[in-house]
Amino acid sequence: MRWLPLAFVAALAVYPLVFSMPFPQHVVIMALLFATLGTAWNILGGLAGQVSFGHAMYFGIGAYTAAWFYKGFGLSALVTWPVALAFSTLAAVVVGLPTFRLRGHYFVLASVFIMQAVYIIVSNWGAVGAAIGLELPVYRPSGALDALWHLQFHMSKLPFYYGILLLFVITLAAFEWIRRSRLGLLFVALREEEDAARSVGVDTMRYKLLALIVSAAFTTLCGMFYAHYVLYVEPISTTSLTISVEIAFIAIFGGIGMLWGPTLGAFVIVPMTELLRAHLSGHIGLGLAGAQDSGIAAWLKYLAAGGGGQLDILLYGLMIVLIARYQPRGVLGFFRKLD
Amino acid sequence: MPLLLKVRGLTRKFGGVFANNDISFDVAAGSVVGLIGPNGAGKTTVFNLITGFLTPDAGEVRFEDRDITGKRPDLLSRRGIARTFQVLRPFPRLTVEENVMVGPIARGESMAAARQRAGECLELVGIRHKAKDLARGLSTGQRKRLEMARAMATQPRLLLLDEITGGVDQPSIPGLIALVARLREEGVTLLVIEHNMRVIMELAEKVVFLHLGEKVAEGPPAEIARHPRVVELYLGSHA
Repeated sequence: MRWLPLAFVAALAVYPLVFSMPFPQHVVIMALLFATLGTAWNILGGLAGQVSFGHAMYFGIGAYTAAWFYKGFGLSALVTWPVALAFSTLAAVVVGLPTFRLRGHYFVLASVFIMQAVYIIVSNWGAVGAAIGLELPVYRPSGALDALWHLQFHMSKLPFYYGILLLFVITLAAFEWIRRSRLGLLFVALREEEDAARSVGVDTMRYKLLALIVSAAFTTLCGMFYAHYVLYVEPISTTSLTISVEIAFIAIFGGIGMLWGPTLGAFVIVPMTELLRAHLSGHIGLGLAGAQDSGIAAWLKYLAAGGGGQLDILLYGLMIVLIARYQPRGVLGFFRKLD
Repeated sequence: MPLLLKVRGLTRKFGGVFANNDISFDVAAGSVVGLIGPNGAGKTTVFNLITGFLTPDAGEVRFEDRDITGKRPDLLSRRGIARTFQVLRPFPRLTVEENVMVGPIARGESMAAARQRAGECLELVGIRHKAKDLARGLSTGQRKRLEMARAMATQPRLLLLDEITGGVDQPSIPGLIALVARLREEGVTLLVIEHNMRVIMELAEKVVFLHLGEKVAEGPPAEIARHPRVVELYLGSHA
């Protein structure tokens, strides 16, 4: 089984050369983005055991920093990433210091509340476009270097594809390196039994903060990627509770604490969501079921069509119930040897 | 013998009820002191106050003649105070060896050095053959030994043992008594909570008897065992 991860990454590297159409490439880019987000989340949630439903805040910090500097000064994430990481570290400390005193469910709740507060602030803050958001101006690069400087590549998705693949591999490597290191042992000790960890000398506040800062940093980089890829950031798709839950859900669904868990989760859930949206809503239009449809079929198509109905959310719910009932350790729990 | 631990006027209330009220006692370096009393006497509260898991409402704890009242547990661990828990708290999904390595790692030791020390401590408590097993697979007796190994790996000068024999079957008790005696030979001063009077008589030089949060008596075990209030409160039902 050891070759499986390598084969997977190799297959990912070849994939866009085989599937050259934009949509199949887009689906895997989004899957890789969420696999990276889930893996970053897993450093805090899986290793250090601090379940956060507020990670979209760090995603938003990355996305907005990238968008704001590019729109205002023409500086891309290639230059501004240290600024974004400084912001995310500051935010992690401000959030972590008070909330890590809380334990278990209280930390989860606090992370949700802070997330919602940030969402409301961003949605009303004129300087970052409030609810409308920020658009990154489209730029016609004069050559390869110019394109790289601006992170704009005409219609080609390939640079983004390999960019997120690289970030994905780095994040996975970071997770595994931490897990095997002395730091990882301290993270897992505080996850498993916090008081016992303190009794043998682990400064649990310090290590929780460290886990959050590292986790937030990778999440922020994902946000920067997203801004340059989509060229548009607004609150709902970056710094909302929906995104927070999606990040956490992908990791929990796939296998919390396990190296490949979030990746498995992302590659099941993201394509499913994208395909549902693309195929089911495509030929139904505005959610009006065709005359030949009736009953459940019509209802499902209505849900899928986006007219207030969100079939993907319904399926999330179903999967949460199934996974909680049959394999609380996530899908990867069925294949323990992979880990 | 010089004093290692000095407890003065320790007081802690939970919602108006005194869990500890004005408790004072000393622990001499190199000695074994027993803390006994009926359920609800406040023994574990004393432990939590000394090890920093609780902050006293009043009173003072001095360790090696320095005030350590209200200091954080992890800092006290570094100063040389270790403890076990009455409700055992191994890191269930770490191996037995990794459980013991956490303390040395938290002090900045390398993986190899921590593994070495873990091996020594597991040898000392007699469960080295379980080193690679997950901690959650251990029996209660083995978990008690694991907790002692984990505490010993922090190289403590004072070790607080919360219930040496509680929840363990009769045949395992002599082995645990021998183990505690061995820990003492390692040069560690011990403060132990124990329900089993036979165990205390065998191990401790001094016994502090608590009842309803107050110190009722203090002295050599044989004397405490004859103390009228102790007999009435504690031994009466057994004798």
